[in-house]
Amino acid sequence: MGSKRLWKKTRLKKSYDAVMIGGGIHGLAAAYFLARDHGITNVAVIERRYIGFGGSGRNTAIVRANQRTQGNVRLYDEGLKLWATLIRELDFNMMFYNCGNLNTLHSEAAMGAARLAVCTAQLSGVRSELLDRKQCKELIPALNIEDNITYPILGGMYHPPGGIVRHDAVAWALAKGASRYGVHIHQNTEVTNINVEKGKVTGIITNKGTLKSPRVLICAGGYGALLAQMAGIKLPIHPLTIQAMVTQPLKPILNHVISSGAYHVYANQTLKGEIATGAHMDPWPNYTTNTTPYYMKHQAEALTELLPCLKGVKFMRHWAGIADMTPDMAPILHGNDPIEGLYLDVGWGYFGFKSGPITGKYMAEYMAKARRPQILKPFSLRRFEQFRHTGETAGAFSYGPWN
Amino acid sequence: MSYTITCPICGKRDLYEFRFGNEERGPYPNQKGLTPRAYSEAVQMHEAVGGIQKEWWYHRDGCGVWFTTWRDTLTGREVLQPEETS
Repeated sequence: MGSKRLWKKTRLKKSYDAVMIGGGIHGLAAAYFLARDHGITNVAVIERRYIGFGGSGRNTAIVRANQRTQGNVRLYDEGLKLWATLIRELDFNMMFYNCGNLNTLHSEAAMGAARLAVCTAQLSGVRSELLDRKQCKELIPALNIEDNITYPILGGMYHPPGGIVRHDAVAWALAKGASRYGVHIHQNTEVTNINVEKGKVTGIITNKGTLKSPRVLICAGGYGALLAQMAGIKLPIHPLTIQAMVTQPLKPILNHVISSGAYHVYANQTLKGEIATGAHMDPWPNYTTNTTPYYMKHQAEALTELLPCLKGVKFMRHWAGIADMTPDMAPILHGNDPIEGLYLDVGWGYFGFKSGPITGKYMAEYMAKARRPQILKPFSLRRFEQFRHTGETAGAFSYGPWN
Repeated sequence: MSYTITCPICGKRDLYEFRFGNEERGPYPNQKGLTPRAYSEAVQMHEAVGGIQKEWWYHRDGCGVWFTTWRDTLTGREVLQPEETS
């Protein structure tokens, strides 16, 4: 069993019933659910590098469902509940560790925003609560709740059902599951153009040949805007490089995911003992995954203010991915408009991991029935020209001591 | 090597001293008869070029000047204006 391939090697066919551009969690999940729930098995997942190379393998593996707006919470909550089901169904240990997320708050403005987020969660039946700073310290004894730091902690938003999932395992498990239904996974295959005739998508051109397909899904993470351009679609997306790093392994000191909007830092201790931590994005567009010492310094400063016991601990690895940011920090899940058969699963920013499998499930339904599922209604591309933004930017992370 | 941008007043400086002011998108659209769609196109949609583009930058931690320069989004590096290199 150990040396068996997880997914079959196949030859590129000339024609498929559906093609996913991007072999990350979103594309693999959409292919898996298209085959499992809708009987469409003549499907190809096209990946430029190898599966999980992009954002799927570069995130900090945090999952949660305590977003600001109800439309978002509904989707993420269903996504959070899906992990356990998928682990069983795919017979693959994704190491889901629901240790809970603590979001520290450093100003009255952030406390106010968190109060609203907690209300949204509770109204949606999601566990989330507001804590004072002593309760934060009880959760994470290593936390510094004194006034001797740049942004002293006033309280926190605690979300018990969240946690971490091993991201590589998610990609491998979905690939295994999809392949079992006959889905083709083509790695090292770059899409160079999307063919459109009379307002209908007809297929794609790759460096290994041309494929015909009446349905094409763009689910290429940070590269989504470049692919949409091939079909002549302009998106409200900025591709921003986002960096993350891990420290040397330590004994257990952090048994929850911790995040802070004011410090622009989020961290968790992996099962290996490393502190995995993510930073803010470079606020200018780039399709690069280069890292800079600026964020290493920033992370070290932020982490040692919040968790002073980390002073002197060394970073071991540092990497970057691309976040495709939309103006309202909510995704674009759209299809058949303006091009029939062309579907968009883009604009996830830095939320693409936690939403992967559940979005794949609903995008599969969208592609099979050519009708947008109710749960995806808030995420139309048209909302931008109607100026009906989702309101997600009003989350606690937008508020700090500077407000 | 660190990333730099050339300020017209201060010269080549570290990229993190600057604030990005969006890709150059020409003049602001005429208000008369402006539809929400055209307005959205002007203020929200991006070319998101994979390659060289003209951009606005602000020397926030320096002299405070706004200026345009050219940058390659596939490398993150500032480049010469394309006409000059050809």
